[in-house]
Amino acid sequence: MQFSQRVDCGQLTPQDVGRIVFLAGWVDAYRDHGGLVFVHLRDRSGIVQIVFNPATAPEAICRQAAGLRAEYCVAVRGEVCQRLAGTENPHIETGTIEVMVTELTVLAESEPLPFSVSEKAMVAGAVTAGSDPVAEDLRLQYRYLDLRRPSMRDHLVRRHRIFQCVRQFLDAQGFVEVETPVLTMSTPEGARDYLVPSRVHPGHFYALPQSPQLFKQLLMVGGLERYFQLARCFRDEDLRPNRQPEFTQLDLEASFVDEEFIYALIEELTVRMFAVGGIALPRPFARMTWTEAMETTGSDRPDLRFGLRFVDVTDLFADTDYSIFKQILQRGGCIKGINIQGQSEKLSKNVLQNEYAKEIAPSFGAKGMTWMRVENGRFESNIVQYFSPAELDGLRQRFGAADGDVLIMVADPSYSVVVSALGQLRLHLAHRLDLVPADRFCPVWITEFPLFEPTEDGGVTSSHHPFTAPDRTDFDPANIEDLLSLRSRSYDLVVNGEELGGGSIRISDREVQRKIFAALGLGEEETREKFGFFLRAFDFGAPPHGGLALGMDRTVSMILQTPSIREVIAFPKNRSAACPLTGAPSAVTREQLAELALLNPGGRDVLPGDAQKDDPIDRLSWVSRIGFAAHERPMLEAVRAGAETLAQLAVQQAGAEDPIYTVVPVANRLRPGIEARQSPLAENGRLLESAPAVKGDYFKVATILE
Amino acid sequence: MEELFVHRPGEATATGDGPLHGMKVALQPNCSVAGWPADAGSNALAGFKALEDATIAHRLRGAGADLCGTTRMSEFGFGLDGSRAGEAVRQGAADAELVLDLMGESRLAALRASVFGFKPSYGRLSRLGIIGLIPSMECSGVLATDPEMIAKLLDAVAGPDGMDFSMPAQPAVDPAGGPLDPAGLTIGVMTEAGQDLDDYRQAEFRRALTALTEAGLAIREVSFPEFSLFSLVHQIVGAVEASSCAGRYDSVRYGQRAAGAKNWNEMYLRSRGAAFGPLVKSYLFQGAYFQFEQYGAFEAACRIRARLVARMERLAAEVDVLALPAIDLGESGSATSLADIYAQFGATLFANVTGQPALVLPPGPGIGVSGLQLTAARGGDARLLALGRHLFNGRGGKA
Repeated sequence: MQFSQRVDCGQLTPQDVGRIVFLAGWVDAYRDHGGLVFVHLRDRSGIVQIVFNPATAPEAICRQAAGLRAEYCVAVRGEVCQRLAGTENPHIETGTIEVMVTELTVLAESEPLPFSVSEKAMVAGAVTAGSDPVAEDLRLQYRYLDLRRPSMRDHLVRRHRIFQCVRQFLDAQGFVEVETPVLTMSTPEGARDYLVPSRVHPGHFYALPQSPQLFKQLLMVGGLERYFQLARCFRDEDLRPNRQPEFTQLDLEASFVDEEFIYALIEELTVRMFAVGGIALPRPFARMTWTEAMETTGSDRPDLRFGLRFVDVTDLFADTDYSIFKQILQRGGCIKGINIQGQSEKLSKNVLQNEYAKEIAPSFGAKGMTWMRVENGRFESNIVQYFSPAELDGLRQRFGAADGDVLIMVADPSYSVVVSALGQLRLHLAHRLDLVPADRFCPVWITEFPLFEPTEDGGVTSSHHPFTAPDRTDFDPANIEDLLSLRSRSYDLVVNGEELGGGSIRISDREVQRKIFAALGLGEEETREKFGFFLRAFDFGAPPHGGLALGMDRTVSMILQTPSIREVIAFPKNRSAACPLTGAPSAVTREQLAELALLNPGGRDVLPGDAQKDDPIDRLSWVSRIGFAAHERPMLEAVRAGAETLAQLAVQQAGAEDPIYTVVPVANRLRPGIEARQSPLAENGRLLESAPAVKGDYFKVATILE
Repeated sequence: MEELFVHRPGEATATGDGPLHGMKVALQPNCSVAGWPADAGSNALAGFKALEDATIAHRLRGAGADLCGTTRMSEFGFGLDGSRAGEAVRQGAADAELVLDLMGESRLAALRASVFGFKPSYGRLSRLGIIGLIPSMECSGVLATDPEMIAKLLDAVAGPDGMDFSMPAQPAVDPAGGPLDPAGLTIGVMTEAGQDLDDYRQAEFRRALTALTEAGLAIREVSFPEFSLFSLVHQIVGAVEASSCAGRYDSVRYGQRAAGAKNWNEMYLRSRGAAFGPLVKSYLFQGAYFQFEQYGAFEAACRIRARLVARMERLAAEVDVLALPAIDLGESGSATSLADIYAQFGATLFANVTGQPALVLPPGPGIGVSGLQLTAARGGDARLLALGRHLFNGRGGKA
């Protein structure tokens, strides 16, 4: 058989009827109709039915066909035929034709499968064997079988298309793909680094990059102007269901650009990527400041597929008599609420009070939740009697409340508690009430993030990283209030409540950078130590630049609408950050650890014998475990000096002879006819007779280590 | 007489009857006899009693010999400091004595006691149950007033022992293939072997050679330019093997444990520090130096050893027997340092390095206080003892 003549199964059409074709692939499914054997033959392109008919195929071939089983790898030759009317299979693209086989070669047999690979039923209306859910760890353990399933193969192919789309588009925009190192220095980012011990520099470590942040900025200093990379990044974060310890991000950076350049570029790119999945994103992308996002959705990655926006009602209760609100407002708090329009039927008193107010809202961090149902023009609530008519009227107008609406409010002295709890309630309610439209995509740029966040000890820390440009440069690095009012020139791209990526315009002015470090409380020396090599680059005419990174696994998963990002990664780690296929991470031998100087990294533990390393006599005493008295030292020093002389002499006098260690012939010795047995001296305890200390049937020793 | 023995059995020890019937054989406390103290002269084995007979003790008893006690020995038999080897035979308290020969101890002890001393070929006697220090070189030497008795004793105890891994499966055979007429042997004299002797001993050695000629033997000069390297090899290889070999003295299975150790390491350091005397301790430190800091020097010594063994084999094939002085610097006082002890055994340790047999003839007619040492190729034990017997008879049977 000639593989060069091979035709793709999925490419066959009714136009091919009458053609003799050579096909190769796997047995996807199999039916034996009393001598007439039907097989779904699958290759990467798709599935076609092949038929072994005793009337047209040699008997030997039909006999061989009867032995076929799922996932045998086979090659066949046969004629493309139209299926008989009524036997068409709508489940497969080639469902109107079949191939009558005349030649068969079994290329490789398969053992029984740990799970079914087949996804396509052989007859109309039937259910496939592969429709049962398979435990994910089993799929990951046999990922190579899992990848044979057409849906998985499709994910990888479309991921490839999306990546191709990125490369082609960015290339057309003048971006250059550059690879940055994977073994690098630990960088000041949020998560933990994966560290790689250096064998040649004991006690020193490379870090795997959390992102190529510093390198891409150095590429801008290096004059590349427009750089991108589909970079593998690593973060040793705590386990979360939809996170991978290693992930792929589209990393890009450009010089002589501003935010608008990035917005336009990424909008165009994102639209193209989603188009690969048949999704038309609405344009232009919405923009929302961080403050607005927090004020109206309680999240810096708002899901805008539904309403349920926050309404601030703090001012309505400025003079309230309702003691709880009154106390909260006296402590500088705020009150915000949501109008859940037309949902009062689904949100009964019981649900609102016993589920939301008592259970759900407290689990989101709120101390309580106030609710009101609007029925017949009246508010219905357990606390409505505490509100004045003016307050109720204010609420009605502010929320635009109408019959059938439900209002919920959260009040707290802390602004962040209010928005955070209400934001989570917003999502919870939207999903519970089925308010999230399927197939809708709402991209939004979130902008103007705070540059700094307050720390517990009264200082500030960078919200993003210390190289993000501030919105103004006239700030006083010593004035905390001033610093906290600064906004950064950073931006996040959020789609449907998921952050696909983010970036910023960077600081390229040395003076501004110095002020930022001063604000962070980092002295000259400390910054040199932490970022020295990086800052040095900015002493040589750095161009203004900015960029962004997009999480590609997450983006592809959203485009393909898979339940997890693991579905779009060929060999992902599982939820426990482990690989069931290879067994990584795995233990290593003590020898490997020793070679990497990891048995006692950094010399933290004082090992027995460490103290004896420096003195030559102490060292010999230690390695041979023979103590000596002070008066014996001169004798042993003389011995050592003598031994040194002997050693020199021996090395001088030795020739090229093979060394001998005995004068009799060396032979492996067996004791024929003698079987292993316990020594009678051990059995009768006489072995212990001369022991200095015995415990039961054992020699007694000091503890191994102190 | 009691001073002579450190242990004497209360009853006769022979278990069989045979060629050694009635022969009183003294041992050293490094040779295991079930129930006998066996401390090998070291604190490291203080109080240790042997659980089983050594193979050679077992064979001696089985051949009718009476094991009459153990004599005082130096620590692990290393040197002769503190040893009273040879005295029992000299005083007639024993017909023969087995003395551990690490570098010539059995031969020098024989010389001091004016009796015959013989170190057999390496691999001829089982070492199972013998407590030693230098496994690739050590051997039980035999002292007696008559070479015939030595031969008889060895015939009864020599031979393969499946329980001793260091023994070759086949015993070394005399390269000559059969017995030689002792009267017609050619004796080789290594010019280098007596170079360092003082005038008096040189003259003594020449007189001894004259006596050999008078006994009808042909003397031929041969050369071994690297003879002085034997001491270098022995010092390095011996020390390394001793350091390994003494690793077992851990105060767990036997010996005495120093009090108050907080952990295992301290237990070793203190107990082993107290177990070994200065000479052995020096030797073990020297061995540790090569093992842990200059392993290359140990390998170099093993290369030189290969060269010396090969050279000695060629030399031994050129003549029937080689003659050497038994003692060179001849310091008979106590050796307190490694340098002293190696000087003392400079003329005998070659046989331990090569594993060849060596017989020391005691002073007698024609042979002065330095004695005479005869050696042959490994396996040539019989001809040495036959020659010894021939010379002994020529003297009228007086040791």
